[in-house]
Amino acid sequence: MISIDRRIIFLLIALATSLPLLHPFGLPIKVSPEVRAVYEYIENLPEGSVFFLSLDFDPSSKPELEPQAMALLRHAFRKNLRVIGMTHWLTGTGLADDIFSKVAKEMAKESGKDYVFLGWSPGTGSLVISMGQDLYKAFPSDHSKKPIEGMPVLAGVRNLRDVTYLISLAAGNPGIEMWYVFGKDKYRFEMAGGSTGVMAPGLYPFLRSGQINGLIGGLQGAAEYETLIGQKGTAVAGMDAQSADHFVIIALVLLCNLFYFVLRGEKGRPGFNA
Amino acid sequence: MIVLKRQLPLAITFIMGVTFALQYYIPHPVSEEAITHLSKWMQIISGFALALGLASLFQVHAVKIKRQVAGWGYSVILYVAMLVTITVGLFWGQGQTKVDGAQTAFGWIYDYTMVPLQATMFSILAFFIASAAYRAFRARSREAAVLLVAAVIVMMGRVPLGQFLVPWSWDVAQWLLNVINSAVRRAILIGVSMGIVALSVKIILGYERSYLGGGKDQ
Repeated sequence: MISIDRRIIFLLIALATSLPLLHPFGLPIKVSPEVRAVYEYIENLPEGSVFFLSLDFDPSSKPELEPQAMALLRHAFRKNLRVIGMTHWLTGTGLADDIFSKVAKEMAKESGKDYVFLGWSPGTGSLVISMGQDLYKAFPSDHSKKPIEGMPVLAGVRNLRDVTYLISLAAGNPGIEMWYVFGKDKYRFEMAGGSTGVMAPGLYPFLRSGQINGLIGGLQGAAEYETLIGQKGTAVAGMDAQSADHFVIIALVLLCNLFYFVLRGEKGRPGFNA
Repeated sequence: MIVLKRQLPLAITFIMGVTFALQYYIPHPVSEEAITHLSKWMQIISGFALALGLASLFQVHAVKIKRQVAGWGYSVILYVAMLVTITVGLFWGQGQTKVDGAQTAFGWIYDYTMVPLQATMFSILAFFIASAAYRAFRARSREAAVLLVAAVIVMMGRVPLGQFLVPWSWDVAQWLLNVINSAVRRAILIGVSMGIVALSVKIILGYERSYLGGGKDQ
């Protein structure tokens, strides 16, 4: 049993993922203080504040980070914040553009007036410094090649010092740490982070030291944010599948340890021949 | 030639390293203007690095195809996929996935090949994690047992079903993440950061020269 055919494990995971998606059991979502901190900060921003959302991920992290991005954008648009978007991940540009267009259409927001999606530009850290010095030199035009100078959404915005709140949703580097080191530390805006589930534990030191004021971790974090804004989406729907998957993995780990100890006990017995 | 290959790069590294380390602490307009220009140069250089990476990728796979090494068929697929994407991007999409809200041919490639392929690669991770956890996550020692118990509690506390069945798992998971995990991660971060500072000083002062390459004149 200890060397069980891994296809059985794959089958268990497939069932644990698909069955709750077909028949959700909809358990309540608890909200953590780190996600609530992000929500409350945005909730308390005055109308017209500049909110910068950096979607630093590519399609491989779409299931976890797209719901975070959509929930944050819905919240920001509902609060009538001026939203600036970009990505540091070249392969994520199309996805980020799609997220912005989709939510903007849903919330009846207009590109150039209510939000601007700057797209991608090379440089990562040096790009952040460049934006911190002069946003218009770093990005002369937005993703659809329209010049950004004179756009109503950017009225009074010269550089990153004019940003009120920045959130980087990251699947790795460049992402939250890079934004902190090259951006917040020098240009003094408040920031938070959102990340995949596997990355989140590594970001807690930044949270505890106040370098970021909130953290949205993985699908669970996205589900918490969806709960807070009262608009349940794919994250809440996916949490039942994630619950079942976690329990299958826990059961497998416990089972494997049980067999391991039984086998070790038998090996210790006199006359045992392995 | 040794001046051009060794002394000049070392001098540039020293001058630029010291200048821009000090620049951070000097908020004078001249200093700010300098960093504005330099960050633009760095952006341009990063763009060239991308082109260099692409050229290198083409070269590596061209050699594989030429020598017909094991798995050279994948290199052919990579070549075809890259060339088709570049051609379509340049001539049927202006490098955009959408133009005036309408999907371009380039956008079609992105949405229907890139997105599902990347999503598939990442999602199969769940299957391999489960399989690996079953085989490798054993309490062979006291430390491994502590890790195992912590992992099980965090896995339960981070999902609604775990919070529902074992309500205390939420609080314990939050404590583990905020206190134990943070302390360990902080120690690692401080160590890594000090290493980066030490390496940067060595590069600026010219003690670390591996970035210069290993030519005849080195």
